[in-house]
Amino acid sequence: MIVTSNLSKKYNDNQVLSIDHLEIPKGQSFGLVGNNGAGKTTYFSLLLDLIQPTTGHIKNNEVLVHESEDWKPFTSAFIDESFLIGYLTAEEYFYFIGELRGQNKSDVDALVSQFEDFFHGEILGQKKYLRDLSKGNQKKAGIVAALIGNPEVIILDEPFANLDPTTQIRLKGIIKNLAETKGITVLISSHDLLHVTDVCERIVVLEKGEIVKDLKTSAETLKELEAHFSGEAV
Amino acid sequence: MVKQFISLEWKQFLRASYFQKGLAIKILLILAAIYFGGIAIFMGIGLYFIFKKTIPEVDPIVSVNNYLIYWFLFEMLIRYFMQQLPVMNVKPLMTIPIKRNTVIHYLLGKTTLSFFNFLSFFLFFPFAIVLLVKGYPILNVGLWFIAIIFMTLNINYLNFLVNKSNVVFYAIAVILFASIGLEYYDVFKISEPIGIAFNALYNYPFLIIVPILLAISLYYINFKYIKSGFYLDDAVSKKIKEVNATDLSWMNRFGSIAPFLKNDMKLIWRNARPKQVMMMSFLFLFYGLIFYTQETYKQMPAFLAFASMFVTGGFLMTFGQLVPSWDSEYYKLLMSQNIPYKKYLESKWCLMAVAVAISFVLSTPYLYFGWKIFGMIAAGALFNIGLNSFITLFGGALNRVPIELNVKAKAFSNTNGFNPTQMLIALPKFLLPMGLFYIPYKLVNFEAGLIVLALSGVVGIVFKGFFLKKIEQVYQTGKYKTVAAFGEKQ
Repeated sequence: MIVTSNLSKKYNDNQVLSIDHLEIPKGQSFGLVGNNGAGKTTYFSLLLDLIQPTTGHIKNNEVLVHESEDWKPFTSAFIDESFLIGYLTAEEYFYFIGELRGQNKSDVDALVSQFEDFFHGEILGQKKYLRDLSKGNQKKAGIVAALIGNPEVIILDEPFANLDPTTQIRLKGIIKNLAETKGITVLISSHDLLHVTDVCERIVVLEKGEIVKDLKTSAETLKELEAHFSGEAV
Repeated sequence: MVKQFISLEWKQFLRASYFQKGLAIKILLILAAIYFGGIAIFMGIGLYFIFKKTIPEVDPIVSVNNYLIYWFLFEMLIRYFMQQLPVMNVKPLMTIPIKRNTVIHYLLGKTTLSFFNFLSFFLFFPFAIVLLVKGYPILNVGLWFIAIIFMTLNINYLNFLVNKSNVVFYAIAVILFASIGLEYYDVFKISEPIGIAFNALYNYPFLIIVPILLAISLYYINFKYIKSGFYLDDAVSKKIKEVNATDLSWMNRFGSIAPFLKNDMKLIWRNARPKQVMMMSFLFLFYGLIFYTQETYKQMPAFLAFASMFVTGGFLMTFGQLVPSWDSEYYKLLMSQNIPYKKYLESKWCLMAVAVAISFVLSTPYLYFGWKIFGMIAAGALFNIGLNSFITLFGGALNRVPIELNVKAKAFSNTNGFNPTQMLIALPKFLLPMGLFYIPYKLVNFEAGLIVLALSGVVGIVFKGFFLKKIEQVYQTGKYKTVAAFGEKQ
């Protein structure tokens, strides 16, 4: 589904990302881990064509991301608060995204109602603008908005950060379900090794912009990752 | 402690984003400061001689004192609109052991160094020198000067209260309007007793105690006021108003641009900055009064064409020049959604066109000045809808300044919106209507000028698709730059 080749990004002379080849098949739940500055968000930004690659390219479902815009209808993302429109209520925001993605009000209502558990009564009918919600609640709204309009690729940057434990567990269920039953390709990044190993079939470790590990998740994966990040040799 | 504050302040100043980029802006700002400072000094020197010449029978110091109130009124006005209130990021200071009083004293003390306080100083210091040279008694002049400086400080602190508290604001506003009204309609010349008071300050130097006491009490009130508000609750948690989702589904009849149009309506309605722009644009309606009432401009119809364009173009220009910037807070979202730029732009264009139409309706009282003037306003409105809108949108596309939507703008607070490209793009907005009207007016007659100006707008509407496409290209080529610029935190 997503093929990355010879991709690199430099700021001045500072190389922040360099990926020779990375292929993410359709329906995979793909996890990206790495310390701060490893290039996770840079990679996601390149995937969304928010920054220009220095070399190489990404193909999303055979569409060259930095040349055509045809990847947009089947791709959705929640990277940070700049994906929220602060002066809308959560419902208005969902409807707006829905309209952009060709969904009518009842489609959006039907989808959103599946997530009432996840919202924990703190999103819908709150009579508050998104900008006045807490960080965690903003994140919940942003994540659900990324599911609107039957996307085939969903990109979530640090979805677990700022969420309370209950919501983290529910989110894990949601992400697993997306990949397993609906065949959606899900890309997430996280600092929480436990969550990532729980959710993702495949985990790639980035370090200083390069892929240093590419693991198929198994029972030993968490140990291996912990060993890697604590600096021990495996 | 104060030393650390000053070092923090200095770093904040030097490292602010607007200071780091744009040498041209820095130079312009410095030039402006020198310019105004210089004017004040020359005025100060000239003040004595001007009054001596215009009112020879009265001692210049008496005349100055008589008119002093107008200067202070002027000062109050520009301060209200332009002076930045001292703000300090109090949140990180609350957990470290600094006395609350120290912080407040520092905040208030800081305002003493405001540029606006020096304006009075620059004006009256040279004046005082001239007085001394002319042989006025040093004690009277010296203490009078100090009294004036204290009055300036009083205005400084008063402005603080006016800005912070609605009660004070309305009280002052009522007093001011009442006094001006009484003065204007000759009911009671309030400026006379005030003039006498200022003269008394000069004649009886010991009265300097009055402005000093006033300054001390105003300082104390300010201190109290800030102290009562100096709690984490106020600084950290914002007041959250309950809101209801607005149903704008009736706008769906606008078809494919409806989602954007609905969003733009909410954008304007729910955010402080665009609301402020809307209020400001309302003032443009009165622009014509300046021009139509003066005989001089009646002979210069090109200027009238320009003014007529302004009457209906307020919202169009103030809102339009910041068009992608309004969406800067969530630009990344827009860029990763399947959004046709054309629809996005068309929605903004519709808003602007509607605003011009509303302004035009509101401008009907200008019929008072005759059909010719009103015809010009009508032609100007057409020009605005058809051509000016696209010029403004084009200029906006080159303007990559992030906007904080829910924060009101104070003058000078975002100088980075001001750049050479903006100035260049502003030129055709002014020159085009003047030229379009003036050339046929000179060659044929007044009516021809009107028709050409109006037709230019119609042509613009006919070629709307073409213009939007051109602007779209600017958006597309500048996409990464815009995303990066909007991502920058201010």
